[in-house]
Amino acid sequence: MTAVALSPPRRAWLSVARQELRDLWLGGRALGLLLAYSLLLSAMTYLTATNSLLNFLEQRESVNLTLQIGVAVGALLVLLTTADAISGERERGTLESLLLAPVQRVDLVAGKGLAALSVWAAAFAVAIPYVWFLAHGVGIVGVALAGGFIVGSLLALFLAGLGLLISSLSGSNRISLSVSVFVLLALFAPTQLPAGAQQGWVGDLFIRIDPFSSSLHYLGKVVVDGHGADQAASWLLSPVIAASAAVLLALGASRFVTLRGEAPS
Amino acid sequence: MSASGIEAHGLAKAYGEVRALEALDLAVAPGVVLGFLGPNGAGKTTAIRMLTTVLKPDAGTFTVAGIPHTKPVEIRQRVGVLPESAGYPERQSSEEFLRYHARLFGHTRESARETARSLLAETGLTERARSPIGGYSRGMRQRLGIARALVNEPSVVFLDEPTLGLDPSGQRQMLGLIRQIAEARGATVVLSTHLLAEVEEVCGRVVILNRGRIVADGTVADIGRRAGAPRHGRLQVPAEATARALEALRERGVQVAEDWRSGQLDLALRPGNTDENVRAALGALLDAHIPILGFELDGGRLSHAFLAMTERG
Repeated sequence: MTAVALSPPRRAWLSVARQELRDLWLGGRALGLLLAYSLLLSAMTYLTATNSLLNFLEQRESVNLTLQIGVAVGALLVLLTTADAISGERERGTLESLLLAPVQRVDLVAGKGLAALSVWAAAFAVAIPYVWFLAHGVGIVGVALAGGFIVGSLLALFLAGLGLLISSLSGSNRISLSVSVFVLLALFAPTQLPAGAQQGWVGDLFIRIDPFSSSLHYLGKVVVDGHGADQAASWLLSPVIAASAAVLLALGASRFVTLRGEAPS
Repeated sequence: MSASGIEAHGLAKAYGEVRALEALDLAVAPGVVLGFLGPNGAGKTTAIRMLTTVLKPDAGTFTVAGIPHTKPVEIRQRVGVLPESAGYPERQSSEEFLRYHARLFGHTRESARETARSLLAETGLTERARSPIGGYSRGMRQRLGIARALVNEPSVVFLDEPTLGLDPSGQRQMLGLIRQIAEARGATVVLSTHLLAEVEEVCGRVVILNRGRIVADGTVADIGRRAGAPRHGRLQVPAEATARALEALRERGVQVAEDWRSGQLDLALRPGNTDENVRAALGALLDAHIPILGFELDGGRLSHAFLAMTERG
């Protein structure tokens, strides 16, 4: 073997991200998730375009509905991926080997987070033809795709941070996945509020605070109501804050990336 | 102590109410193969995890390879570790696994590939280098773990139960590898194991932990002596001289087991005084002009000392 003078890698997060990407995509896990995602979008697009019970929707609303599902489920895939990122290593007994490498724990978290975001990027790429199919007739392909990409990326960042945070703190994968899905459902809940509950300043505030409701509202404004991106930008405040906070919290919580998922004493 | 060994002062760790390690003081010179022994729960794995910076101690300080504990990344750069019951990514091949870890230690893409291949050859895994680790036997996984521990040419290597779950042939192979690491690479090796006979073969020094404390520290011979483990001597004399031999031994105060057979006498040697007892027994026979056909001493093995010291605690 050639003796080489080694020093800790400068961009360890990049090595981690590369390996995670390989594991995710060549290992088949991300492909499986993406296949399920494609089937869901296909079914939704087919129904909104052809079903006589659903196609009462105005074309813009059909685009919005498909886009909302594409964005929400695409971001959900990121959550499912990151929820396994640390707790999965812990459960499989592979975390110790990583902790023994001369890299900062924040690099491990960042690398895994970046790789998980590739699932959102791929999901968005899969959604493009569906959105084009529905939106080209009403001339809103560009607006819909841009809006979907912005909103989806913010939600994906938010859920990546959230998933990594929960995964870092969880002793087992089961706990991490359960807590992640529970939090996700709690965040989704406001989007299902009846129209009456969304009226008035309280309803408005509620929607604006919840990053999911706010994001989907933004999409509705630009895709259905035809508002300009600048007019509707205030609806992006909550997802921007949520994404930033979740990413910072996840990176900060890298100190919990220990064998047991507890704070180092 | 040279800068490339291990020094620890007052290392302590508790998990809630359970004290895993209490004030561990340890100094290991470079190039030494240290047997790190103790019953399950003695604190061996906790100590190794602290010295390799995976766990933070509640108290105490240490240096590994001359690097203080306040620089954990630098310590990890210089140590190689085979963790106890390490898991492996089932879908990765061993070559991919080693390349990845080599990259995490700062190898370039080319040197990572070269290092991976060289270590796979050294650990006898070349033929399965491209197969998923999921299909590996326990022994192959342990060898892969050793290879991973060596990707950074470490100056200190920690091996936590490297022979766990291996068959006798696998155990021999593993011990051969450990010898190779110590001799060819000149690394300090800390070997935590329950295979005491092998520790006697491989380790220049032994530390025995019990309930979080060091109960013995020294060479195998030192520990056997200090443990005061009961020893027995077996003397063979001509059958016709048995009665004379018995008389000569008893005159010198040497205890002989009651179930002696013609020509064969079992001696009970007093703990802590073995050498004197042996001298007295052999002297008695020589003075009485009784030919000694054979003499065997047993009971002074590390395993006896280990049991005596850990059961006592």
